[in-house]
Amino acid sequence: MNQNTKIILALLALAASASAAALLIPKEGSRHPVAHITLDGELVQEIDLDRVGTAYSFQLTGASGLTNTILVEPGRIRVLESDCPDQICVRQGAIADGTVPIVCLPNRLVIEIVGGGEVFDAATG
Amino acid sequence: MTRPPAKGTRRVTRLALLTTIALTIFMAEAQLPVLVPIQGVKLGLANIVTVYAVFVLGPGDALLILCARVFLGAVFSGQMMTLLYSLGGGLLAWLVMTGLRKLLTKEQLWLCSPVAAIFHNLGQLLVAAGIMKTWVVMAYLPYLVLSGIITGLFTGLCAQYFIQRMEKLRL
Amino acid sequence: MKRIFFRRLTGLAVAAAVCLSLAACQRQTEVKTQIFAMDTVMSITLYGTDQKACEEALNQAVDRIYALEALLSVTRTGSEIYAVNHAGGEWTRLSPDTAALLEGALALCDLTGGALDVTAYPAVRAWGFTTGEHRIPSSAELAQLAARIDYTQVEQNEDNSSVRLPQDMELDLGSVAKGYVGDCLVQLLESFDGVDGALLDLGQSTIQALGPRSDGTPWRIGIQDPAGEGYLGVLELSGKAMGTSGGYQRYFEEDGVRYWHILDPATAAPARAGLAAVAVAGPSGLVCDGLSTALFVMGLNQASSLISELSRSGYEAIFLMDDGSVALTPGMESSFTLAKGYEDREVTVLP
Repeated sequence: MNQNTKIILALLALAASASAAALLIPKEGSRHPVAHITLDGELVQEIDLDRVGTAYSFQLTGASGLTNTILVEPGRIRVLESDCPDQICVRQGAIADGTVPIVCLPNRLVIEIVGGGEVFDAATG
Repeated sequence: MTRPPAKGTRRVTRLALLTTIALTIFMAEAQLPVLVPIQGVKLGLANIVTVYAVFVLGPGDALLILCARVFLGAVFSGQMMTLLYSLGGGLLAWLVMTGLRKLLTKEQLWLCSPVAAIFHNLGQLLVAAGIMKTWVVMAYLPYLVLSGIITGLFTGLCAQYFIQRMEKLRL
Repeated sequence: MKRIFFRRLTGLAVAAAVCLSLAACQRQTEVKTQIFAMDTVMSITLYGTDQKACEEALNQAVDRIYALEALLSVTRTGSEIYAVNHAGGEWTRLSPDTAALLEGALALCDLTGGALDVTAYPAVRAWGFTTGEHRIPSSAELAQLAARIDYTQVEQNEDNSSVRLPQDMELDLGSVAKGYVGDCLVQLLESFDGVDGALLDLGQSTIQALGPRSDGTPWRIGIQDPAGEGYLGVLELSGKAMGTSGGYQRYFEEDGVRYWHILDPATAAPARAGLAAVAVAGPSGLVCDGLSTALFVMGLNQASSLISELSRSGYEAIFLMDDGSVALTPGMESSFTLAKGYEDREVTVLP
């Protein structure tokens, strides 16, 4: 086992632990989720998920001609249906915080949750 | 280790054979149900061939096989979109493996593979980020690094056995 | 070589497993509850790594609140304060908690030159704030009432275990009691190893934090706009207490004039010193509570010299003026931000 091998093994171990650590950092947006929906890099909708009373859905069609049906529920959001071939975006399910976005590559759709808005842990009265 | 022929029909045959193998593995893997609903998390079995090629045939030939496989894969699966992502990932991985070839020997193929997998995923993410015009997709990176290491080790082991088999065939 | 390879692989796998399981052990758990006590709704949120400890801590905290309420309530016939007020001028023994609270309260009265006075209860009652039957006392009555507001007449014995006051005076520790409860709760929670942090919302005007939020960021406390329904700013609180006093909290209106429950001890009438509300943040809940009331009575000019002295002990204040502008002590600048829509409010930082 030569020197190079050891170095590369060490680097791999480092990458693995760094990634594991990155996954464990609490992500923002978990307190007051606001969903940002971008199509082709442009922000098309901003939805305050805390203010959603009853669930509703709507459709977005991208420049590629593909349509995604998005379901908005109180506190979370997901892609319900899609024309895209892989259906990865549909299978991902709902997101409720900023850990990972929902991405539909063929449709260039990105749904991302950012922490935003005024939310308090308590308030003076 | 058998010296690969520099030119001639022997070489072309070898290249064609490996491309076919890579392509078949690629198409077969595409039929498997997606385990994890995150972009790019897959076994990447076709990379076995690329890794083998870089070490045994040399970077130039490996690149040829890679490009041929990516192109044909996109054509046969009917999605030209994947061409960009596969190419981006494949090229970055190939680049890194070419560099590693100077540092490691054929015996350490298994180590090269996870590294290649990580950079393949990174390449795909970079392409996605460019096309979507946002860095948001990079949120997947930690998952892809971890899955890349795991799948890379698996394909690396396979590649080692693959080489042993190929050498027995005296190709 | 294969043996070496597999050994290395196992090593990597083990390392990864250890990392992940360690991380899983650190999973935070959160418990919260809401109760009605001391005439208001109180919310307690605790978090920590030990679920059982957090639940036990929460139960004990709630018990403590009810126990203190029983001691300190001015209206409940069984409370110690009630006993003091109906002792006919005789000495009344106090339990350690009540004695400690009284001592702290009287010290604050001294410190604020009487702007905070714990003997203002009869006046508050005269205005009808205790029963809800609001009325405006005559100026003669107010003069009489003001004469009976004098904390210096409260006598404590040598070891502060007993207290007495003149027959026509009454004690009410309501302006500091909740803050004291907060201090007691923090002490209690700190004794639990499995509790890492907490937010105690003791009726909105008294809030206390044990540490920051579970993700390390400070608790975000909305500061209500005295003039409206919204929140004009956010205060970041971490490991501190805060108290808020404002006329808008309890008042009645007659002929277009507002009369609120924070009285100026000198006049026995609502304190009108140009402030709509004051919020004080610092180490002790009791002090923050009492100070916010005192500073509201004092007005900005008088208050700023006192608070700049106290900032050395870690106390900072936000003054919300009648005209909508905001004044902050220097130490408050980093923790207070104006809310969206309020960016045009004038903010002065006191010297």
